Amino acid sequence: MSLQPVLVLSHALFCLGVYGMLTRRNAVGLLLALELILNAAGLNFVLFGRAFGSAQAQAFTLFIIALAACEAVVGLGVILGLSRSAHTIFADQVNLLKG
Amino acid sequence: MDHVSALPQLAQLVEPRLVWIPGLPLAAFALLILVGRRLGRASGWLAVGSLAGSLIGVVLIAGPIWAHRTLVVQWPWLSASNPAWSVGFSVDGLSWIMLAVVTTIAPLIAVYSIGYMRDDPRFSRYFAYFALFCASMLTLVMADGFVLLYAGWELVGLCSYLLISFWFEKPAAAAAGRKAFLTTRLGDTGLLLGILLLAWLGGGLHFSALGDIRAHLLGHGYEGLLTLISVLVFLGAVGKSAQIPLHVWLPDAMEGPTPVSALIHAATMVAAGVYLVARTIELFTPASLALVLGIGLSTHLVAGTVALAQTDIKRILAYSTLSQLGLMMTALGLGARSAAMFHLTTHAYFKALLFLGAGSVIHAAHTQELAQLGGLRRAMPWTSALFLVASLSMSGLFLLSGFWSKDAILLAAAGAKPWLLWALLAGAAMTASYIFRLYWRCFHGVSPAHSHQESPAVMVLPMAVLGVGAACVGLLESPWLGHPFLRLLRDPHVHDHIDPAVALLSTAALALGLWLAWTVGVRRRSLLPAGLRPIGRLLHRWAAHKYYVDECYDRFLIQPVLSAARGLSGFDQRIIDGAVNGAGRVGDLLGRAKAAFDRIVVDGLVNGIAAAARGGGALLRLLQTGIIQQYLLVAAAAVVVLSIMGRR
Repeated sequence: MSLQPVLVLSHALFCLGVYGMLTRRNAVGLLLALELILNAAGLNFVLFGRAFGSAQAQAFTLFIIALAACEAVVGLGVILGLSRSAHTIFADQVNLLKG
Repeated sequence: MDHVSALPQLAQLVEPRLVWIPGLPLAAFALLILVGRRLGRASGWLAVGSLAGSLIGVVLIAGPIWAHRTLVVQWPWLSASNPAWSVGFSVDGLSWIMLAVVTTIAPLIAVYSIGYMRDDPRFSRYFAYFALFCASMLTLVMADGFVLLYAGWELVGLCSYLLISFWFEKPAAAAAGRKAFLTTRLGDTGLLLGILLLAWLGGGLHFSALGDIRAHLLGHGYEGLLTLISVLVFLGAVGKSAQIPLHVWLPDAMEGPTPVSALIHAATMVAAGVYLVARTIELFTPASLALVLGIGLSTHLVAGTVALAQTDIKRILAYSTLSQLGLMMTALGLGARSAAMFHLTTHAYFKALLFLGAGSVIHAAHTQELAQLGGLRRAMPWTSALFLVASLSMSGLFLLSGFWSKDAILLAAAGAKPWLLWALLAGAAMTASYIFRLYWRCFHGVSPAHSHQESPAVMVLPMAVLGVGAACVGLLESPWLGHPFLRLLRDPHVHDHIDPAVALLSTAALALGLWLAWTVGVRRRSLLPAGLRPIGRLLHRWAAHKYYVDECYDRFLIQPVLSAARGLSGFDQRIIDGAVNGAGRVGDLLGRAKAAFDRIVVDGLVNGIAAAARGGGALLRLLQTGIIQQYLLVAAAAVVVLSIMGRR
C-alpha cells in the first residue's frame, strides 16, 4: 500500500486543524480543531507503524486518543467556567492571560 | 615628744554613749533645718538644750577621764582592706579639755545669740548652722584618727563659711565667707596631703599609732619624711588657726554675726589648729617644731602690732585672736603642749567674753568704729564691767586666768631660750596695750550719742557666766590646786611654784602696756623724739593697713592667677574651641559630600537597574496579549520557520 495518499490526508487534516484553531472564535470550535490536529498525528502514527511493522506506534495512538479525551474534558470544563465567569465563549474576547 | 610615748599604755574603756555628745547637736541641726521655720523662737532654745545635753555628757564622762582612762567607741569602716580600718571616737585628757571648753562656751553663746539675733529673719537657720558647727567641732575633737578628724575639720570649715556669710545680702560678708573658705582650703590641702602620706606609709591613721610611726621612721633614718609629714599637718593648722601667712581670712571673717565670731573665730574653731598640733605632736621633729615656733612667734608679734593700729573693734579683737593663737603655737613650738592647751582654754573664755561684749556694744550703738564710740560705761555698766574683767584677764593681771596661762608659756620660753622670753614679754605688753586702748576709748571718755542702753538679760547673763570663767579658769592651774591640768595631760613638765622673776616681769609688761595705751592710745601723745616721728607715722600707717598683706596677695597672687585664668579662657575660646569647631565643620562637610555621592552614584545605580528592569518588563508585557490565537499563530509560524531552517 502506498504511503502518499494517507500522508496527504493526514497533512490535510493537520492543516485544517491549524486553520481552524487560528480562525475560529468559538472556544468549542477551537477544541474541535485541536481534535483534528491530534487525529492527524494519530493517523500518522498508525500509518508509519504499519509501514515499519511496529506495534508501539499503535499503542502510542491509543495514548493519543485517551489524551484527546482527557483534554476534551478539561477543555470543556474550562469553557464552561469561562462562560459562567465571563459570559462568553469567544476566544478573542477573553484575555485573562494578558501580562 | 619622747616622754609621752614612754608613758605606760593606760586602760581603755568602751563607751558607746560617747555618740550622744556630738549626736545631740546634730539631731538639733536636723530638726532645725527641716522644721525650724515652724519652731520660730523656740528654735534657739532647742539649740541651747541640745548643747546643754552635750555638756551634761561631757561632765558625766569626767570621772574615768580624770582617772586617766581613755574612752573609746569604734565602728568598722573599710573592712575589706587588710588590716581593716575603723573610725571612732576616743576621748582622753587632751580631747576632754577641748570638749569641756566647747560645751561650756557654746550653750552660753547660743543663749546670747537668742538675744542678739532676735530680729533676724533667718533666726532658726542661724541656730541650725550653730548646732551643726557644734556637732562638727565635737566630732573633730573626739575623733580617734585622722579620718574622722579630717571630716570634722572640713565640716567646721563649711559651718564657718556658712556663718561668716550668714548675712549674704552684704557683699562684704559674702566675699569674706569665700575668702575664709578658700584660704583655709590651702591649709586643708596640706593636711590632706599629710594624711595621705601617713596612710601611704601604712602605719594607720589612728592617733594611738603615731608614737609607733615616729619610732619606726626615726629608727630607719627617715627623719626628713617625718618632718615633711608634720609640716604638712602643721599647714592645716596654719590655715585653720589663721597663722601667718594664711592669716588674712580671720579679720575679714568678722563680717559674720558677732556671737559667731565669739564661738568660731575666737574660742573653738580657730583653736582647732592648736589642738591638731597638740594631738599629733609625736609627729613633729625638732626641725618642724622650729618652724611652728617661728610662725607662731611672728604671728604673735605682727598681729599684735596690727591690732594696735586698727579702729574697728571687731578687727582689733580678730587681730588679738591671731596674736594669742600665735602665742599658743609658740608654746607648741617649744614642746610645751600643756601650756599651749592651757592658754587655749583660758583664751577661749576671755576672748569669747570680749567678743560678746563687743557684740553687746554693737547691738546697742549700731556701730563698730572706735571713733564713733565712747563713754558707754554709764549706759552699759554690766557690759563694761565684764569687758574690763576679760581685758584684764587677757592682759595677764595677777590671779586672773590669763596670768596663769601666759606664765606657763613664759616659763617654758625662759627654760628654752632667754631671748624668747623678752620677745614674749614685748608681745604681752602689746596685748595689754591694744586691749586697753580699745576698752578706754570704747567705754570711757565722752559719748557721742546718749540713747544707748544695756543689752537684755538674755545677753548679759551668759556674759556674766563667761566672766566668772574668764576670771577663774586659770586658778585651776595655780600651784595651790596642784596642777590638775598638767596631770590630766600627763605632762611631766610640772612647775610647782611661781617663778617670782617671771611673774614680776610679766606684771611689769602689763603695766608698760597700760601706760602706753593710756598715753598713746587714749591721750594721743607721741612718745617718739621729733626726729623719729615720720618713721613712727610710717610704721603706724603700715600697721593700720595690715602691712599691705592683703594688697600684696591681691597683686602678686590673686591678680596673676585671675589674669592667667582669663588668658587661658581666651586661649580656650579661640584656639581650643576653634580647633574643635573647625574639626566639626570639616567633618560636617565630609559628611555632606559623602551623602551627595551616596544619593547620586549609589542610589542612582540601584534605581537605574530597577528602572531598566521595569522598562524591560513593560516592553515584554506588550507581547503577552492574552489572545490565545495570537500565541498559536506565533507557534505555528515558529514551527514553519524552524522546519524551513532545519531542512538545510
